[in-house]
Amino acid sequence: MPSMYDELLRLKTVAGEELSAITQIGELEPFRVKYLGRKGEFTLVMRQLGQAPPEERPRLGQLANEIKQDLETAFAAQESRLAESGGATHATFDLTLPGRTVPFGKLHPVTQVMDAVCAIFEGLGFAVAEGPDVEVDFYNFEALNIPPHHPARAMHDTFYVSDSLLLRTHTSPMQARIMEKEPPPLRMIAPGKVYRCDSDITHTPMFHQVEGFLVDRHISFADLKGVLSVFITKMFAENTPIRFRPSFFPFTEPSAEVDIGCVICGGKGCRVCKNTGWLEILGAGMIDPEVFKKVGYDPEEYSGFAFGLGIERIAMLKYGITDIRLFYENDLRFLSQF
Amino acid sequence: MKFTLNWLREYIDTDMEPARIADHLTMLGLEVDACVPCYPELTGVVVARIDSVQPHPNADKLVLCDVIVGEEERTRVVCGAPNARAGLVTALALPGAVLPGGFIIKPAKIRGEESFGMLCSAKELGITEDQIGIMELAADLQPGQAISQALGLVDTMIEVDLTPNRPDCASVLGIAREVGGIVGKRISPPVVTPPVLTGENLPFSVEVESADDCPRYAARLIKNVKIGPSPWWLQQRLLAVGMRPISNIVDITNFVMLEYGQPLHAFDFKKLSGGRIVVRRARSGESLSTLDGTEHQLDSEMLMICDAERPVAVAGIMGGANSEVDAQTTDILLESACFAAIGIRRTAGRLNMSTEASYRFERGVDPQGVPKAMERAVQLITALGGGELVAGGVDFKEGVVAPAPITLRGKRTRSLLGMDLSLDRIGAALSSIEIDVEKIDEDTLRVTPPSFRVDLEREVDLIEEVARIVGYNLLPTTLPMVPMIFSEQDGLRELRKKVAEIFIALGFYEAINYSFVAPQHHDLLGLAADDARRQSVHLLNPLAEDQSVLRTTLLPGLLENLRRNINHQSHDVRLFEVGKVFHPQGSDQPEEPFRLAAVISGHRNPGAPVLHVGETQTDIFDVKGVVTQIIDLLRLGQTVTCQAGIAGQELSFAEPGTVLAVMGGEKILGWCGAFNPKTLKGFGVKQQAFFVDIDLAALAGLSSQAKTFAPLPKFPFVKWDMALIVPEGVAAGEMLSVIHGCEEKLIEKAEIFDIFQGKNIAAGKKSIAITITYRAIDRTLDDETVGKIHQKIIEMMISRFNGQLREA
Repeated sequence: MPSMYDELLRLKTVAGEELSAITQIGELEPFRVKYLGRKGEFTLVMRQLGQAPPEERPRLGQLANEIKQDLETAFAAQESRLAESGGATHATFDLTLPGRTVPFGKLHPVTQVMDAVCAIFEGLGFAVAEGPDVEVDFYNFEALNIPPHHPARAMHDTFYVSDSLLLRTHTSPMQARIMEKEPPPLRMIAPGKVYRCDSDITHTPMFHQVEGFLVDRHISFADLKGVLSVFITKMFAENTPIRFRPSFFPFTEPSAEVDIGCVICGGKGCRVCKNTGWLEILGAGMIDPEVFKKVGYDPEEYSGFAFGLGIERIAMLKYGITDIRLFYENDLRFLSQF
Repeated sequence: MKFTLNWLREYIDTDMEPARIADHLTMLGLEVDACVPCYPELTGVVVARIDSVQPHPNADKLVLCDVIVGEEERTRVVCGAPNARAGLVTALALPGAVLPGGFIIKPAKIRGEESFGMLCSAKELGITEDQIGIMELAADLQPGQAISQALGLVDTMIEVDLTPNRPDCASVLGIAREVGGIVGKRISPPVVTPPVLTGENLPFSVEVESADDCPRYAARLIKNVKIGPSPWWLQQRLLAVGMRPISNIVDITNFVMLEYGQPLHAFDFKKLSGGRIVVRRARSGESLSTLDGTEHQLDSEMLMICDAERPVAVAGIMGGANSEVDAQTTDILLESACFAAIGIRRTAGRLNMSTEASYRFERGVDPQGVPKAMERAVQLITALGGGELVAGGVDFKEGVVAPAPITLRGKRTRSLLGMDLSLDRIGAALSSIEIDVEKIDEDTLRVTPPSFRVDLEREVDLIEEVARIVGYNLLPTTLPMVPMIFSEQDGLRELRKKVAEIFIALGFYEAINYSFVAPQHHDLLGLAADDARRQSVHLLNPLAEDQSVLRTTLLPGLLENLRRNINHQSHDVRLFEVGKVFHPQGSDQPEEPFRLAAVISGHRNPGAPVLHVGETQTDIFDVKGVVTQIIDLLRLGQTVTCQAGIAGQELSFAEPGTVLAVMGGEKILGWCGAFNPKTLKGFGVKQQAFFVDIDLAALAGLSSQAKTFAPLPKFPFVKWDMALIVPEGVAAGEMLSVIHGCEEKLIEKAEIFDIFQGKNIAAGKKSIAITITYRAIDRTLDDETVGKIHQKIIEMMISRFNGQLREA
């Protein structure tokens, strides 16, 4: 049986050589267990210390501790060296292979734009209300100052369900429905699907609109300009050129169309803006006194503005989509782009 | 409304560039849709007179023309037009000229004879569409003069998209008045003061039954007119705005309509029975064939122009064929009238007719324009048609009501516009477009709307005019001072958003389909005759049969999307839609509940690298997983379950045995499962597909479990397995339910990790391997404790399911 002294020196040599031969981080742990662990070889040797002659015990004990400490130091050094040299010492991977992805879907671009529009107005304190798609003629037209046979009805190619029911041609009926029920002040937007019998490269028989209105005392056209300017700068860019020009809607007076500088050509003139440098983006106006009278508001006391915009149009401009029909084909090659 | 710059300049003195005029008009609310040159540039095309014509030696249909192209200059041109003749003044494109369409004129040899240019037709020069030989120009034109100059072919066509409130601008004079406001000048109309018409000793009579239907009606007689083509200047005006010249009389009525906005009509007087005009409602049973060749059945709602016996025109809309002016016409009864807008709208709507005349009457014409337009037309007809005007005429005007003055408050104007405007500035804005104002006190104007502005009835209408003239872009931009209010969120809208987020995280794309679908969808789904989804809301005027009913289920739309995607080589499809379906409720508005539906087809991991995820196809457990995750993420796990074995008659489109019900207590909220092959075939889908279809509104009514914190376990769990051989009919889910349902507190959960049939397992049996997780909240479990419980569970399972322990 070799002396404990020799045994310790042998262990020192063997362990030292074995440690320096390690090239993989994964080999470190088995080494630690084998030599330095609770049941490792040094521990076994130390347990035999009691059997050594008493006079040798301090010297052997000190030597064993020194060797163990040296080995622990060397082990730590080797460990950090291997860790620093990184994965090169791991099994090699072809890291040009694609990553393992988890399928992830996307919202329809119309929903994305609709949410963005609503978020801006919600940020300004507008509440959201939704109404029926199949609307009563009264709310879609008459409450909005469009009596039967009014020429403005020609602007709305209406789908009818019966004499009195139709598919709403705009989300403006919510204006009348809400004002009829609640007194001012009001700040609401009404997003939703709307319908018109028209189908070509720029029209689908169903599309999406957000209608909004604000009613209180002392609301002016200047306020309309302010709120819609905030909307446009948030929806497009801070420096988007904006212009307001007169228009006509039966339920607003004065009425306005709101144009932005063409986002395609930057205002130089192109096919999309019909060489005007401007794109129509919103219809708006001060709510007509007739509309207020129909819901029992006093137009001398209250004023307000209303606006409406088409979501598909904004999505087409933002994303450069050239055919509106693509929105309703639900082709994954289309939906995955947004 | 189309007009040209030269035309406009006849009434308003301005040298403003057309593009600037267009821009100003747009900013005044008269949106310019087009502003384009009327004629192509015709450089190198000149007036030429054919001096002599010789036959071409080598061609029967060609001639050699000796052409005068200047005082001293002559040239020779080969021509094939049948009307090439000596003395004709026509258009010659000289070598180097470029014709519309890019055709370049060069000297050429035609059948061996030299030709230095081309004699042109009006069509070849892009002037008209007519192609009847080379142009026949006025004999007094100077040869050699540029054709553009000689014919006034330098002009700009401007098209304005009129809003329905501005019928006054459906006339060149009306547009000129607006331009006058821009340039600070007044218009000079051709007729200022029309003669007063008296009705004595007339060879005709006019009778208006109701002044409400027809506030004003003027008529004059012109005898012995010569029907023929209009002069070039008149044709040119009409051609430039897209109207086809027909004959001098018709062209003049059209021209004056465009000029004044007042529709006119010319009757062949000899065709009017009794020399009478009666303006009355149609009698039942009457009919009229209009100029467009359509036969109309009339009713008593429709206003007609009649003679002594029968209707001869639909008032304000279109003339009748029975009184039409034709080549033989000599005597003309000219009508200039004002009809009530509402009646014209109603009649035009009933007869489904829309004409230039009805467009104007529906929106309202100026009653004071009636005699002016009449006078203008009479002057032109006598000048161009050579007729003899019969003195006097009828001017019925009992229905004309003078516009009521409107009070306009300066304060109201300022507060509505949010701009500090002086009363003088307000008044000046209105005056600039010929609206008369009168100051009645410090801050109030009395405004009398001009008769041509039928849209101005209220104070707010005038405020809009002020804003328009001041310019919307000069009005201030402010943010409203409003009270701070918390806006409540709509719970259903929130739920829809949340569901959409979950679907996206599960790899689904959102679809949006039309609300209207094909009625055949119900058959393709195989819905039973009494299925509620067959009761749909029908559109009265669908665009197409396949878009004629409102959807009662979202699945057909998604199936069509699926087919489309597969046909375009996207085979791995995960689509969801959250949208309304429509259930009729008699004559009331339909019920419009939201549903939630999804389809899955193709590979399980669309888009992920096949290398890593393999090519496994989706199956029923994918949709079941989707449903259980939705239930879980909506925190509805305590109220909603996804259950097998619920019979569903409404699932005619599903594969039997591959369907699960989504249950809220005893109530069926929806389904998930596999489509059956018949349905897939019906929708043209060529691969297996699975669906989810849930009543979202019903989900919204359930209360979700509140979020409450549970302390984290301090002691570890242990897992013990068991493998049992049971009859193959035993439902694995039931085995788990039994374990979960037993009273043993230390069981945390039980999971199935293997199901095996085959080698070493008797026929009719299967092996089910279950892992049970045990944990105590207050101590680390020892083997002995767990072993006892586990053994008890095994024994319970063996007796409950007629099983036996599978030997290792």
